[in-house]
Amino acid sequence: MKRSILYSMLVAAVICAASLLLAAAKVGQAAPDFTATASNEKTFRLYDHRGKYVVLEWHNNGCPYVGKHYKSGNMQRLQKQWTGQGIVWFTIISSAPGKQGYVTASQENEYLVKMQAAPTAALLDPTGEIGHLYDAKTSPQMVVINPQSIVIYDGAIDDKPTTDLSDIAGATNYVNLALEQTMAGKQVEVPATRPYGCSVKYPDSTH
Amino acid sequence: MVLYAAGAQGAETPIPHGTLELIAENRWVTPGHGFSLGLHFQLERGWHIYWVNPGDSGEPPRVTWQLPPGLSPGVIEWPAPRRLGTSRIVDFGYKDAVTLIVPVHAETSLAAQPLARLGAEIRVLVCREMCIPGRTQLSLTLPIKSLPPVPDVRTRELFAAARKELPRAAPQNWKFSVDDARDYFVLAANLGAQITQVIFFPLAEVQIDNSAPQILQSLPSGFRLTLRKSDRLLKPIDRLKGVLVFSGNHAYLVDVPVSKRGTEKNNSSSGIHEIQSSKEGPQK
Repeated sequence: MKRSILYSMLVAAVICAASLLLAAAKVGQAAPDFTATASNEKTFRLYDHRGKYVVLEWHNNGCPYVGKHYKSGNMQRLQKQWTGQGIVWFTIISSAPGKQGYVTASQENEYLVKMQAAPTAALLDPTGEIGHLYDAKTSPQMVVINPQSIVIYDGAIDDKPTTDLSDIAGATNYVNLALEQTMAGKQVEVPATRPYGCSVKYPDSTH
Repeated sequence: MVLYAAGAQGAETPIPHGTLELIAENRWVTPGHGFSLGLHFQLERGWHIYWVNPGDSGEPPRVTWQLPPGLSPGVIEWPAPRRLGTSRIVDFGYKDAVTLIVPVHAETSLAAQPLARLGAEIRVLVCREMCIPGRTQLSLTLPIKSLPPVPDVRTRELFAAARKELPRAAPQNWKFSVDDARDYFVLAANLGAQITQVIFFPLAEVQIDNSAPQILQSLPSGFRLTLRKSDRLLKPIDRLKGVLVFSGNHAYLVDVPVSKRGTEKNNSSSGIHEIQSSKEGPQK
């Protein structure tokens, strides 16, 4: 009996520790606030944009899944479409220095021009702090936050988890779906999916 | 002799950081007798491909078959995977070498022919720290003969080794239950023997949190495994399906209905282990 109580406590302790470690953004809950420096050297704070929809896009320019959406122009089209409607769009780069996708501010600015990308800003997150806050697993993982700063979508960009450009045409885009449905006053039909893509290249020391 | 030389073995085709070969289990196709094809991957050290549920990132290999009329491919038989990746991002897949077996149905009406071409287009993502998508065309020529099937000695060992890695059906006398306990699933097993090491690999995506520790309670007649739910699992699930891998790489398929009783608290327990995610993943 004494043993079993001890073990139950141990299990509870491990579970608590795990929960704390894993506390991150969740659909239906408040989006964790953050402040970050963009490639244009401006500082952006998430909660300064309360009252607007915000899209977060995890980015790594060497990832073939990201390449699919940029080479096809799909991501740029989404950025233009939604920022044109007053939505804030943050591209977030959580690659650590020396890892795939890591860029300096000037490299990212060149990339944005070359790719004709149009996010509100590209946020540099080389420590992985914002990535961890949102438990970002992949690029291109997408998060949609509503004007009350609640996460209303977290997951894949669409329902075709491949690197094939030809799959974009027939795909259901989950970011569009979430934004269109919520703006029409409807429930978001698909609020969470597996965020397909390349693993986010966090610093090695992070656990 | 010439036919035999051109027979069951395909050729090693390059894929990113490895090779892939289409192999056949038998020397010829016999109408009315099912047989197996194999996709034999060999990967450079440190690189991996993915299981049917790839885990947090990546993508499983996908095959588009080009088979003669009368031959129809079944689904891939996936060997038990291993945990790959980092402590935060956990993937399921294979390193070094793996053979994916595909059973093929052959109709009795199949006409004999000296050389039937069996083709497959494969799309595969190969990763180390970074990922490279590959797409390759494989082919193999096999005779179709009205003779009893005969195993090909050249591929026998590869198929035998691959079959050893396949998860088996759990024995009938093993009893499993899964409780839905708020943020966790508790998988309890009565196997008539104490279990001190086991890892659960979920077959479906977005059910359990892949990177969360799996908390094992060793019991005199089995174990209890506490699995954290995925944050992205927003609806209750009816069944938990997956592969249990015990020490010695013994793997079993489990498919257990989920009940909502909540966890019992008074079981005597004789040990607790926390399974760390493997750190043997990508090296720089």
